[in-house]
Parts: sequence; structure tokens; C-alpha cells
Amino acid sequence: MSVLSVRNLRVRYSAKGPEILKGIDFDVESDDFLAMIGPSGAGKSTLIRCVNRLVEPTDGQITLLGQDVRTLSARELRGLRRNVGMIFQEFNLINRMSVMDNVLSGRLGYTGNIRSLFRHFPKEDVHRALDYLDRVGLSDHVNKRADELSGGQRQRVGIARALMQQPKLLLLDEPTSALDPKISREVMALIMSIAKELGVPALCNIHDVQLAKEFCNRIIGLQDGYKKFDGDTKTLRDSDLEDIYAMEVL
Amino acid sequence: MSEQTSLSPQKPLRTWSRYSFPESLWSFGTLLAVLVFLTYSLYFLNIDVLMMLGALGKLVGVVADRFYPPDLAYITDPGYLASILDTLQMSFLGGIAGVFLAIPLAWFSAWNVTPNRRLFFPLGRFGVISCRAIHETIWTILFVSVLGFGMLAGVSALTMFCIGFAGKLFSDEIEAIDMGPVDAMRAAGANPFQVFLYAVVPQVRVAFTGIAIYTWDVAFRAATVVGFFGGGGMGWYLKRNVQQLENLRVGAIILSIIAMVLIAEFISGWLRSAVNRAK
Repeated sequence: MSVLSVRNLRVRYSAKGPEILKGIDFDVESDDFLAMIGPSGAGKSTLIRCVNRLVEPTDGQITLLGQDVRTLSARELRGLRRNVGMIFQEFNLINRMSVMDNVLSGRLGYTGNIRSLFRHFPKEDVHRALDYLDRVGLSDHVNKRADELSGGQRQRVGIARALMQQPKLLLLDEPTSALDPKISREVMALIMSIAKELGVPALCNIHDVQLAKEFCNRIIGLQDGYKKFDGDTKTLRDSDLEDIYAMEVL
Repeated sequence: MSEQTSLSPQKPLRTWSRYSFPESLWSFGTLLAVLVFLTYSLYFLNIDVLMMLGALGKLVGVVADRFYPPDLAYITDPGYLASILDTLQMSFLGGIAGVFLAIPLAWFSAWNVTPNRRLFFPLGRFGVISCRAIHETIWTILFVSVLGFGMLAGVSALTMFCIGFAGKLFSDEIEAIDMGPVDAMRAAGANPFQVFLYAVVPQVRVAFTGIAIYTWDVAFRAATVVGFFGGGGMGWYLKRNVQQLENLRVGAIILSIIAMVLIAEFISGWLRSAVNRAK
């Protein structure tokens, strides 16, 4: 059974506004590292944010880990969200908190209000946080403030934070767009090797086609709210790319 | 001239205007309406502008005549000095209580992170707005009629004033935060309280501290008026002496109020810049 399945997904941000996604269908299997490519404004971010309902879909069906995402109550939604790690283009760290606190904040879905208030996380969480900080290569920066780090280091904190959730799916929203080409490649490689290691599937927005081809086993091409391509990376031809990135005639 | 035309010799000179027709009508129409209303108000209230200007000179004469020399011995009297301390304590208590009550209300009434848009948001907005809608003097009158004259009524009135004042500034500050961390915490499965603690508080902490200090400074100024209407402290002395026509004492009290407000303003400004530096 697929981890995530999306059927006829439609999104409008306002009743009279334009339709951003116009009936998207796809599945993510348990061993996928799936890239979503497409020009700016194609709806990639909207699509990925619909999966954990940071954006409310207007129509369609999303089944994630066997649950119908759109019918969940607020509490059930929080329960589902903590199984889905998310990594953002702008890192979205809490700048005035230490690296350690940022990483631990990935556990909030599993932590009570009183413990959260005093930032008193269980010992095993702290232990796990130190392990993941080792894994992403930040063991020397545990007590630094997040805004003292470089872009690549910040994204590594973001990765460690997502891993703290013990995710069953990773959502990557342009994880490398704010980084230079060399660091981008390092960060992608790190995310991929961790995903392989933990056996977690990933859905990754990316606009660097080269990176997508290099790291992902499957590619979905979006253009203007429609799915233009869906298949194995090896089957992606230049003509498909031209189709996806075709200039729209206004 | 010939240089300018040589830029585009084939095309006729094009014009551009900052205000095109409907907008120009609106902006000049509004200005005209304001001026007309102002003139009408002056005419209706029968205000003699020239006499007003002359009165300014007379005012100086009256003040010099009645309030000079201020009775400085009166304001160095221990009873009056204690009342300054009372006013100070009143502003502290009211300020602290108000700021602490304003924080949850500001959280509820910030549209972007409110725990619930249908229930908590209107509650928070209503709380803050109703504190603001009623002036601090009216709060004092209300509390004095319920609790009787004295500091308790004054502190209660100042608390309401500070909730309104700080609550509005706090919620504006919360609505201006970067939503990225909020998304990240929500995506991790955090509940609204945890989102507030981890994504909102770190971003607004410094601004909140500054606003809280500023609130105290404003509360101190308000405390003198609150005292006048029955809340105790310096304002109460002011009222008594005004009623007894002890003008020299009134002059001295006003001087002491000005001095204290200046000191409060100076301390608050210094603290706020210290907080901003620590950012």
C-alpha cells in the first residue's frame, strides 16, 4: 500500500481566486524519493503543503498513512502531522533559540504543555537530538544560537529537527533553493542517505532539474496546476522537460 | 530643447500626470471637505481666532499671578512625598497586572496564531477593545463607585487601561511575526499553545519587553489623573488643593508631576534602548 495517495486534488486560496491545483493524482510508495519539478508558480509548494494541511484543499482526497487527511479533527491532524517531517526552503528555524532547542522542538507533537513550557524534554529525546546532530555534522554547534549558523548549517538543523519526529514520510519544500550549488548537493546527499538509512520515503519540491535527476528515483512534473509528467527518472526525456517548462502564452 | 526632442524625434512629446482623473477628484475632494468642515466648526462654535491668540498672552499673566511662587515647602512635606510613592506603586501594580493579562488576550486576538478563530479571536478582540473603549478616568469613576475611594480602585482602573494599551500593541506585534517558524511547529504536530511558546514568544520577546516598559511609563502619567478622580496618590492632593483654591500649592504639585513624568520618561527610554541593544 502506498504511504501517500492523492486523488483529484484541487486548491483555490479564495472563492473567486484562480485555481492553483487543477485535479492532481499521484502516489508515494514506501521506497520512493520523489521529486516534484516545475516552473515557479506551478503549484509545487501548495501541493506539498496540502499533504499535512498547512494549506486547506478545496476538493479531492488525500490518504496519508491510511488516514483520510481532509476529514481529521484538529487533534487527529496534530497526531498525523507528527509522523510527517517537513523541511523548508527558508529553514524556518527559531532564530533566537539554541540549535539544541530547535532540534528538540521537533518533539513537540509528543510533548505535554507543562514540559513544553519549561523546555524540559525527556532524557531520551535529548539523547536522540545529540545523535542526530552528530549525524548531520553539527556536534560542535549544539549551544549556538540558530542565527549564528551559515545557511547550510541551518538547513542541517532543519533536517535534525524533522528527524526528531521519527517521521514516516518526509516533505521537502525546496530544501536547497536558498543554498549555493555545492552546499545544495551536500544537503541533498545527506537527506537522501538518511532517508535510505531510516527507510523513510520523501516527497521533494525542487526546481533544479539536475539535482532531481541525480538524487530522485521518480519525478513528477507540474505546470500551471496540472500534472504533466509522472514516471521513473530514467524515462524523463528532454522533450518532457520542454513540455513542463514550456513558456505559457498569455 | 533641441537635445530633448532629439531623444525621440519621431514620436510626439508624451505627458504623464501623477494623479489621473478619478483619483485626483477623490484626493482634492477630501481635502476640500476637511477644510470646509473646519471652517464650519469654527463658525458654529463662534470661536474668535484673534481673541484666542490674545488669550495666550493673558494665560501667562494669570499663571504668573496666581501660581507663582509655587509652594515648594508643601511638596517636600512627608505626607505629599508618600503620595508620590503611592502613585508610583499604583502605576507599577497596574502596569504589571495589565501587561500579564494583556499577553493571553493579545495571543487570542492575533489573527495569525489565535488558538481558535471563531471563539478565542472575538473574545480576545472584545476584551482588548472594551478596555480601550473606556477612558481611564471613566474606569476610575466606575471602580470608585464599586470599591470606594482609594488605591484599590486606582490600581484596578490602571490595570484595565494597561490591558487595552499593551494588548493592542502586543497583538499588532504578534501579527507582524515571520510565519515560517509557525508553519514549522504546526507541521511538527505542535498544539496552539506550543506554537505560541516556540514560534511566537521568541520572536516578540524583545518587543514585548520594550512595550511593557513603555506601558509602565504611560501608566504612571495616567496614574496622576486616576488619582484626581479618586484613585489616591498625587492626583488626590491635586484635586483637594484645586477645590480649596490653594493655587500656590497647585502650582507646586503640577511642577512635581512634570518632574516625575520626565524622570519616568527618561528611565523608560533608557531601559528600552538597553533592551534593544541586548537583542
